[in-house]
Amino acid sequence: MKQFLDMVLIGISAASIYSLMAISMVLVWRSTRVVNFAQAGMALLSAYIGYELVARVGNFWIALPLAMILGAAFSAFIEFVLMRTLQKHSAQGAIAAIAPIIATLGLLGLIRAGIGFIWGHADVQIEAPLSKVGFTFGDTTIVMSPMGLFVLLFVIELMIIVSIVFQDTNIGLALRASAYAPEIAQLAGIRVSGIRTLGWAIAGAAGAAAGILQTVNGTGALSPESLEFSLLLVFGFIAAVVGGLESLPGAVLGALILGLVLAAVQIYISGALVFIVAFLLLLLVLILRPQGFLGSKAGRRA
Amino acid sequence: MLKKHPIITFIFFGFILFLISNRLDELRVYQGATVAVYAIGIASLILLIGYSGQVSLGHGAFLAIGGFAAALARIHYEAPVWLTFVVAVLAAAIAGALLGLAAARLSGPYLAGTTLALAIGLPSIANQFSIFGGEQGISFDIGLPPASLGEDFTQYKWFFWISWTVALITLYWLRNILNSRYGRGWRAVRSNDVAAELAGIHVGRNKVLAFTISAGLAGLAGALLAMTISLASPGVFPLALSFSLATGAVLSGVTTLGGIMIGSVTLVAIPEIALAIANRYGSETITTNLPGLLVSALLILTVLFVPNGPVEQMHAKRAKRGHSSHSPVEISVRVGSKTWSTKK
Repeated sequence: MKQFLDMVLIGISAASIYSLMAISMVLVWRSTRVVNFAQAGMALLSAYIGYELVARVGNFWIALPLAMILGAAFSAFIEFVLMRTLQKHSAQGAIAAIAPIIATLGLLGLIRAGIGFIWGHADVQIEAPLSKVGFTFGDTTIVMSPMGLFVLLFVIELMIIVSIVFQDTNIGLALRASAYAPEIAQLAGIRVSGIRTLGWAIAGAAGAAAGILQTVNGTGALSPESLEFSLLLVFGFIAAVVGGLESLPGAVLGALILGLVLAAVQIYISGALVFIVAFLLLLLVLILRPQGFLGSKAGRRA
Repeated sequence: MLKKHPIITFIFFGFILFLISNRLDELRVYQGATVAVYAIGIASLILLIGYSGQVSLGHGAFLAIGGFAAALARIHYEAPVWLTFVVAVLAAAIAGALLGLAAARLSGPYLAGTTLALAIGLPSIANQFSIFGGEQGISFDIGLPPASLGEDFTQYKWFFWISWTVALITLYWLRNILNSRYGRGWRAVRSNDVAAELAGIHVGRNKVLAFTISAGLAGLAGALLAMTISLASPGVFPLALSFSLATGAVLSGVTTLGGIMIGSVTLVAIPEIALAIANRYGSETITTNLPGLLVSALLILTVLFVPNGPVEQMHAKRAKRGHSSHSPVEISVRVGSKTWSTKK
């Protein structure tokens, strides 16, 4: 019973961070039809910015939202400079379909090298602001700690904000309209290019939160070659694909499925198999239901 | 004559390389061998991206499979060197066929993500099974060069000879394949799969075949890479290797094999240039970060401004001026009132 409870708690905690990553990939995909493989790099950069802010301001609670704002600004800047140039020089032939993917790959390399230049290759450490020791009830200690609980609540709160913005505001309507049918949205008077940048900005903020929370909830260490962040990219991508790559609730659902499956593997079988299982899950979903659980059939080709 | 008998070009190029290898110092010979390895790796990506229209961001994974397969065959079964290369090709091709079956159903970003996931995850998998030797990896020793080549024939020169012989044969073979029925089939599928299918080309089979061959070639490159370092370990095939290969392919231009030397020489030259700059300014930060910075910046700039590569760009310019010998395959099919065409 305790094992099962641990599995659920570990799964949900992991899922909360995967879902932030998945949401940022979905937002970028919806606004520019690009899967941003630099998302983890941008999250890593934001985490470093968070580290710098914590060191200067000395307060994690101020550093977190500040780093998210800076992450959003950086992401919007990338859309403005890189993606728009790419669109202007739209390539022809074999390279056309993959040019944006390759560009995000280059961006990832650029970010890593930049981090290496500024902060060096040695690990830096962000201190967790809350205890990472699990709550104790009587004589049993569960895996959920104050820090983990904060991460979970913070992510849920972010999700509520995002869904309110998307469902109940004009900006949300514009975001949905330009993702659904850019030309028609433009005709209806929406500034689609500005909305695209906004989509990237929100994605950047979500990615920044994912990067910082992942770091403080984990070992607290950051390095430019961090495998943890590469895996974060992979798991965020898998969660987004499982959910359909088009849909925000899908991204959360995908993250929950992935988080729980991986936690089950980790607890009942072996931690060594986590990646293999995640990869098989990705292949399985892509082969059996390529539009994801909540995606529509047309979404895959677009 | 060269156009008619490309094999003469290849033999001539090989002869030039042979002359060059006798005049260079050890380090340059070693780098020359690496150029050959990259050329095969980039060729495998060009086949995949430029001809069959599938993308792989994680080709380093197939290099790793090839490298480990070759090393294992050598260490456990004492296979002769040529056989280890065959084993490497087969192992990687089988893995490629399996992934290709899934890949044939996927479009751009999905396939990119899947292959990237493979390249990120594979080293950590290799770390967990003792047969792969963990972080240290397993050694891949092909032995000393044969005594008949003389006493001052060095190990690196031997690597150089083997790599370039394999590379030239491979590139010649690949060139012929790309100009054959299969190559035309791939290009047709890439340009418009509906039109290709209506013209009687089996789309799925073609894509899987391309993925299999590409993975096999990557495996061969992996075995050669492991040979030049005498080691197969997760560190020999990092994620950065996959990115380098993608960069090399884009720099060379993915639609033709003609520019392949541009990409492979650049990849070897960049760390060298970075080192020279670092020596000048005496900073270790520059040595470690500048290569990555240069590669990434080159990649982005190429994608933005010369997306089809310098060779294709030149062809396009010449075609504009009106003397082009370049005619791409075109297929168009008409059913009822609808027309599908591979022509843009």
